[in-house]
Amino acid sequence: MMPTGEIVAPQTAVIINIQGFSIHDGPGIRTVVFFKGCPLSCRWCANPECLSVEPQVGFIETLCTDCGKCFEICAHKAIRPGEGVHRIDYSRCNSCGDCVDHCGYGALVRYGESKTVADVWDVVRRDKIFYDSSGGGVTASGGEPLLRAGFVRELFELCKGEQINTCIETCGLAGREALLEVIPVTDHFLFDLKHMDSDLHNRHTGQPNSLILENAAWILEQSVDTVFRQPLVPGINDTTGNIEATAAFLSGLGKSDLRLELMPYHRMGQSKYRALNMKYPMDGTDAAEEEMVESVMRAYQDRGIRCTISR
Amino acid sequence: MVNANTQLLDRIDNLKLGERVLEWKQAMNAAGWKLFAEREKWTVESWRETAGLDIQLRRALLFKKIVENIEIRIHDYDMLAGRLTPAVIGCMTSIDVCGDYIPGIWKDSDELKITMDANVGMDPESIEILRTSAREFRGKTAPEMTYKAWEAADGGWIRDAEAAKLKDPTLDTAIFGQVTSVLMWNKVLEKGLKAFIQEARQHIDAFIENRESDIDRLYFWKSSIIACEAVISHARRYAALARDMAKEETRPERKAELLQIAACCDHVPENPARTFHEALQSMAIVGVCKNYEHPMHNNPQWGRGDQYLYPYFIRDIENGTITLEKASDLLAELIGRWGTQTFVSSESSMESHQINFGINNAMIGGVDCSGADCSNELSYLFLHVVGLLQLSSPTLGLRWNKNTPSWMMNKAIRTNMATKGGIPLFENDEVVLSHFLKDGIPMEEAVEWCGLGCVYPCLPSRAEHYGAEGIAACNMASMLHLVLHNGVDVNGKRTGLETGDPREFKSFDALYDALMQQHRFITHRIFWLASIARKEQPKHMRLPFLSTVGIQSCMDRGQDLLIPDPDSCMFGISDRAIIDVADSLTAVKKLVFDKKKLTMEELLEALDSNFEGKRGEEIRLLCLAQPKFGNDIDEVDLLAKKIGEDSERIIRGYDNSPFRNYMIAREGLAWHYFGGLGVGALPNGRKAFEPLNDGAISPMRGVDQSGPTAVLRSALKAGFKESHASVLNQKFSSSMLGSNESIDKLGAYTNAFMANGGSHIQYNMVDTNELRDAKIHPENHRDLIVRIGGFSAYFTQLSPDIQDDVINRSEHSL
Repeated sequence: MMPTGEIVAPQTAVIINIQGFSIHDGPGIRTVVFFKGCPLSCRWCANPECLSVEPQVGFIETLCTDCGKCFEICAHKAIRPGEGVHRIDYSRCNSCGDCVDHCGYGALVRYGESKTVADVWDVVRRDKIFYDSSGGGVTASGGEPLLRAGFVRELFELCKGEQINTCIETCGLAGREALLEVIPVTDHFLFDLKHMDSDLHNRHTGQPNSLILENAAWILEQSVDTVFRQPLVPGINDTTGNIEATAAFLSGLGKSDLRLELMPYHRMGQSKYRALNMKYPMDGTDAAEEEMVESVMRAYQDRGIRCTISR
Repeated sequence: MVNANTQLLDRIDNLKLGERVLEWKQAMNAAGWKLFAEREKWTVESWRETAGLDIQLRRALLFKKIVENIEIRIHDYDMLAGRLTPAVIGCMTSIDVCGDYIPGIWKDSDELKITMDANVGMDPESIEILRTSAREFRGKTAPEMTYKAWEAADGGWIRDAEAAKLKDPTLDTAIFGQVTSVLMWNKVLEKGLKAFIQEARQHIDAFIENRESDIDRLYFWKSSIIACEAVISHARRYAALARDMAKEETRPERKAELLQIAACCDHVPENPARTFHEALQSMAIVGVCKNYEHPMHNNPQWGRGDQYLYPYFIRDIENGTITLEKASDLLAELIGRWGTQTFVSSESSMESHQINFGINNAMIGGVDCSGADCSNELSYLFLHVVGLLQLSSPTLGLRWNKNTPSWMMNKAIRTNMATKGGIPLFENDEVVLSHFLKDGIPMEEAVEWCGLGCVYPCLPSRAEHYGAEGIAACNMASMLHLVLHNGVDVNGKRTGLETGDPREFKSFDALYDALMQQHRFITHRIFWLASIARKEQPKHMRLPFLSTVGIQSCMDRGQDLLIPDPDSCMFGISDRAIIDVADSLTAVKKLVFDKKKLTMEELLEALDSNFEGKRGEEIRLLCLAQPKFGNDIDEVDLLAKKIGEDSERIIRGYDNSPFRNYMIAREGLAWHYFGGLGVGALPNGRKAFEPLNDGAISPMRGVDQSGPTAVLRSALKAGFKESHASVLNQKFSSSMLGSNESIDKLGAYTNAFMANGGSHIQYNMVDTNELRDAKIHPENHRDLIVRIGGFSAYFTQLSPDIQDDVINRSEHSL
């Protein structure tokens, strides 16, 4: 039956969302915990609300009815009226979220709230019956969960106590001590490989790839199931050169059953950039075409990699 | 059968619809609705001939007149004889059963509105036949006479209560006289109608021998013989027709088929079926005749068709007597025919049920007495064929139990994907069985349960008077409306009990108590009126054929099934809109009593103005923001549980002697539209006259923002253990369930719910129309989530261009 929610676990993290019935993020039916904050800033990122580690308030212009309630409510005068104007003046906003609570139309949204391990556990434990029937469990994602390795460790220890399967979805950029902390309580890793060329990696994500590749090799030495993932972005990492380099890297790791999952680039995240008054860095790039994605998959398969497409 | 023949399953997976079935589908899509008045000609003629005879014999002779004279036809694509009308989609009327009920019949027009969206052209001669029948029967039929008796006993309350949608309408083809229509298929197939005739003769012989005096029983057995012999002669008419057609037929292949039809119809349904083909032919004739007797809402029900037909199917397949392709096409033909049989609705029926087709139900899988699961290769074929046919009927249900094999579950989920949801639905075998067992039904009888109409669980062995007395549903949202208006309904009539001015209620408990008082008042009044209906109905209506082939106890005691048998019949009722009430009460509790954000006066003003104006809209948003069922919030989930249990106490506490207690089945098809028409604005934020929540335990539209597992956790908590069927419609967007992998995950989701005591679940895939609506009315669709690997967002929070992208994607993957 459902494990109890009453525990003492004071560690906190800023969590964006805890999403039940997630079926694309590891085996079985999973609950995904989205952590806020990421050491990379990939240009194609579909979840820009995950970049900053602080809570944020977003504004969905299409849902706003100009009722004016939020101007009255905001104690910091961080909300400005006017059509075609982004409501939030981020130089004044302290993300208190009062406006969100008072917006009946859902036009103001809260991205991120500070939660304790106990708070998160109280939500994820409730789906135990679904984990059990499907071989699923909890996935820590984000953002970058390894930025809060201590939190993940505590949460996953609770999971392990109830035989709940655990998974981490990571960009791979993390210190060894963070990895060491979570490895004993983690069943699966979903590990991103964005680009093999470190300069290009740096240009598109803001960081070189050396530590990521080092971690990738290291993690395979540990007894934890790992699936590599590659966001497939047209014109950036779908080149033959990068496919060959990635395949060579994976083959060079000396494991026989390596898996690579392609995550085709899409533009769905654009709305969230608008909500946060951020410029969309990928203007001019179209979503990955089905044919291109399939041909990349075949290219990897031809090179002996067990490659699939995530849909 | 856990170990099915996997080779056979693989072959079934690769089957396509045969040529004949495709021709039929094409003809059906091309043909318009056709209304046939002919049945009325024969009913009037018979009724005039038999004036003065006892009602039982009179109805049997009327039935005989129809089936021995009505025009029959065999189409070029037919392999099975037995169509209700000569047209590919034809329907007929039942003025003798319902009276003057056809919308527009007296208007000076040659078109009749027969369903929500279909008008049919009629020639003047046909219109005149209908009008003659209406003149003959109006005012004399069972529903009309029942209204008269009700009004004599209780004045106009019943009409007011129906106008306020407190109960379902009674003068209605959809409901009245709807007693069990799951026939004793096993007996029909194994013994043939001749066995029924023989049984009736033996009863008559014994009656004479023992010098019995209750002549009504003699009449019943006589009527059985008349009805069964008439059906046999109906089959013979098809045999003769097929032979005549064979003589003219030049294509040798079709000629052989026609001769086979003739041979089948010579043999069945009089005799036991010997082959799968004969078994289906027997069902086709018996089924169509059942509808001639009473062309109502429910078409012939398949019951546990996969069990009744399995011995014939597997023997013929193993012997090579029939090819799998042929068997599949025959099954598809009968499923298709029953699934598209239409009837003429009254206006109230159109409003309350929103359907064009008669509903029929097939329930596959399920346990036997030992608890072993009975899923077999034919169950698998049912799923496959229904998946290929893509029709709105039958309602196909899978009796889920802990032994349901994984191959069956996998196929069931794949069929859901193929049909865009809903087929099959899942009912918890163990939960339904436990209800029947608790009510003292023996195990061997209970395991035969199957579905009636949409999802109503029934026993083929017992007459089910669900709705037959004009009760069927009571609307708890209307009751709440009454409480909030001190007994005055939405039409300004005082149909309810005066439970006091809600402004004076000092606590939430006072409000709750008032609701239960109202429930007791309304429900008991409806039950009391039902007793009158029970007495009136059989004076004016009998069903000799359905009684004979439907219920063994009718034959045994020599009594029509419209005269309820205290030992065996069941009475059902559906107490609906509990979730609307739970959400509404929670909002009142929070806003008025706990947080005191509003006074009752303010709230009532907003409700009565239908949330008009700026203040009204503010209050509506406040109402919407209160805790809602479907998000795993104890406060509201447990309130729903309490309402369900208290409602059960009220309903089952009613003395229904000498009959069994009322059984509760919270189902409802499209009733939420109809039910909503009697309810003003509600404190859950729903506007006046808008639809209520669908199903029995589905969350309010757009409020289940905590994901699909939270919905099930709420449903498990509320339990609704007291209800035989608690319909839960769960919606998924195609973006969530696009891949093969998701089949197993949806299966696991279903298993988790059922294994933990869920009662019923069915899936709907969100279609693009809904997504388009969400663009325009985001407030109604806040639950729509778009999920793609690594990305998740609420649909309504996306920019319009991205929303269009998502709509495009769904169009491609649906």
